[in-house]
Amino acid sequence: MERTITLGSKSGLHARPAAVFVQHAKTFKSQIWLSKKDKTVSGKSILSVLALGAQQGDEILLKVDGADAEVAINRLVPLLEGDLG
Amino acid sequence: MNVLRGVPASPGLVIGIAQVLRPAPPVDIEARHTGDAAGEITRLEQAIQSALLRLDTLRGAASGQTAEILEAQREMLDDPELKQGAEELINDNLSAAAAITRVAASYAEQLASLPDEYLAARAEDVREAGRRIVAELRGISLEVRLTHPAILVAQDLAPAETVGLDPALLQGIVTEAGSATGHLAIVAQGLDIPAVVGAAGVLSQIAEGTTLIVDGAQGTVTIAPDEQSLKAAREHLAATQRDKQDLQIYRDRQGASADGIPIEVFANIGSVAEARKAVEMGAEGVGLFRTELLAAQGLPTEEEQYTIYAEVAAVLQRPLIIRTFDIGGDKPIPGLDIPPEANPFLGWRGIRLALDRPETVFLPQIRAILRTAVTHDLRIMLPMVATPPEVKQARELIEQAYQNLQKAGQSARRVPVGIMVETPAAALTLDHFKDLIDFASIGTNDLVQYTYAVDRTNAQVRERAQPLGLATLRLIKQICQTGIPIAVCGQLAGDVQAAPLLAGLGVRELSVAPARVPSIKRVLSTMTLAEMQNKAEEALQ
Repeated sequence: MERTITLGSKSGLHARPAAVFVQHAKTFKSQIWLSKKDKTVSGKSILSVLALGAQQGDEILLKVDGADAEVAINRLVPLLEGDLG
Repeated sequence: MNVLRGVPASPGLVIGIAQVLRPAPPVDIEARHTGDAAGEITRLEQAIQSALLRLDTLRGAASGQTAEILEAQREMLDDPELKQGAEELINDNLSAAAAITRVAASYAEQLASLPDEYLAARAEDVREAGRRIVAELRGISLEVRLTHPAILVAQDLAPAETVGLDPALLQGIVTEAGSATGHLAIVAQGLDIPAVVGAAGVLSQIAEGTTLIVDGAQGTVTIAPDEQSLKAAREHLAATQRDKQDLQIYRDRQGASADGIPIEVFANIGSVAEARKAVEMGAEGVGLFRTELLAAQGLPTEEEQYTIYAEVAAVLQRPLIIRTFDIGGDKPIPGLDIPPEANPFLGWRGIRLALDRPETVFLPQIRAILRTAVTHDLRIMLPMVATPPEVKQARELIEQAYQNLQKAGQSARRVPVGIMVETPAAALTLDHFKDLIDFASIGTNDLVQYTYAVDRTNAQVRERAQPLGLATLRLIKQICQTGIPIAVCGQLAGDVQAAPLLAGLGVRELSVAPARVPSIKRVLSTMTLAEMQNKAEEALQ
């Protein structure tokens, strides 16, 4: 399952928002990827998510593959679109 | 004794003993294991788990920004790709320590190359995660323990390392690396302890147990100070302690002599920030608002001035005496053409400039003040006055401005008008100003200059000016005999030796730098008015 979102967090995917996102992502069995432009990383690796260097307003492609994909998308999309803090 | 310089990271002065944190020995990134890859991977996994446990404990004790960084570091330690990358290298025969260090370094480099400054700074957090795992592999604790009060000296201090430090024992921090805005500066400021970072040479020059004086405001570290330096530092610490106590006791009290005669203690300010400081320090009002500081980029418009005066008045909520622009040839103002002068201090400045340029200099300021006065307690003070006709002319312009505002339908209010007494002419003939002014404030800095004929910016003769000399005191005495309410706003007012003398001569308002307010209130409260008057009489002999 795929969804393109616009990153809402004021500080982009900085340490705290990235940590929050990854903590949630790890609770799902599905494989999770984030893509910005032509770069794709695992959504369960904070180091890779940070290295994405995503800023507020960036278009991010969220890809989820697995049994709990739908639940995962529903949890993760609002996180990325909202203010992760 | 040796003084090292670094970057001021957190203000404060402390004398203490050094506790030195030597950096951990570097990891040999070529090191190989004995051939048991599976065993080495197990060691790595255990080390990661132990590191996670330790970090979780630290996180529990952390707050604010430190907690946020630790949270991210925890995720880094738990990052599946970090482990995976290290496992691949272990299968290639590298030791666990070498493997994890290389992987952490590679991620660190990726982050460091990002354009976002904040993300780039996280590179250090990744390296730190790597170091934590290596410490577990080596069986060494990364925890810093203070067993007695000490000044910590280190290469650098990671956020995680600051959490466990006992604030009751940590007296100061000195590091070889670091920046004024880095995490360490924030932590030290939060703990209110002195810190100096970026001090090259500290690790090689400071031995465990050495006495240090750390001056966080200056950014200096004095190693093995001599008796003189220790004495100076102790005196400074004692004075700071006294000032703190004074503030607590006197902040909310009115300035008065021991027998209750009110002697108002006001503040001299030049900005909104200083107005806030004045309120914080317990000033009863502002005796001098230096408005020429607003003209650094050019004369502000009437609207700009109105906004600023209103903001300052709102912050203050106390009487505010605004001195009209005291500009002259010594400080060029963009847009104002003051021709070069041989003697700017005796030249076209202050009220003279204002009266010669009413439309461009004087009136916009007056209008802004009269408009702000509708809702605030403001007073106007005129600088560099020498003769009564100058004040007469100024008052006519002020009244004209008031009438014009009324005619234009704008709210305005008339305010008290006073003068700075800084020329000997005004000082010697103040009684002739009686019907023209509501108050006067002695500008002792300039009055002393003109009286002793000494340029205070000239180091060759500066010491010959005598702020408490007989000539000055006689002038002040004469000024105080006119029946006009007299204040002092020069530096002399903030001097604890001088304040009682001034009050003894008849001054009933002292306007001082905001930081001086509590100690001046204190010194006034230690003497009765009669005692101050006696002191003044003695000084006049």
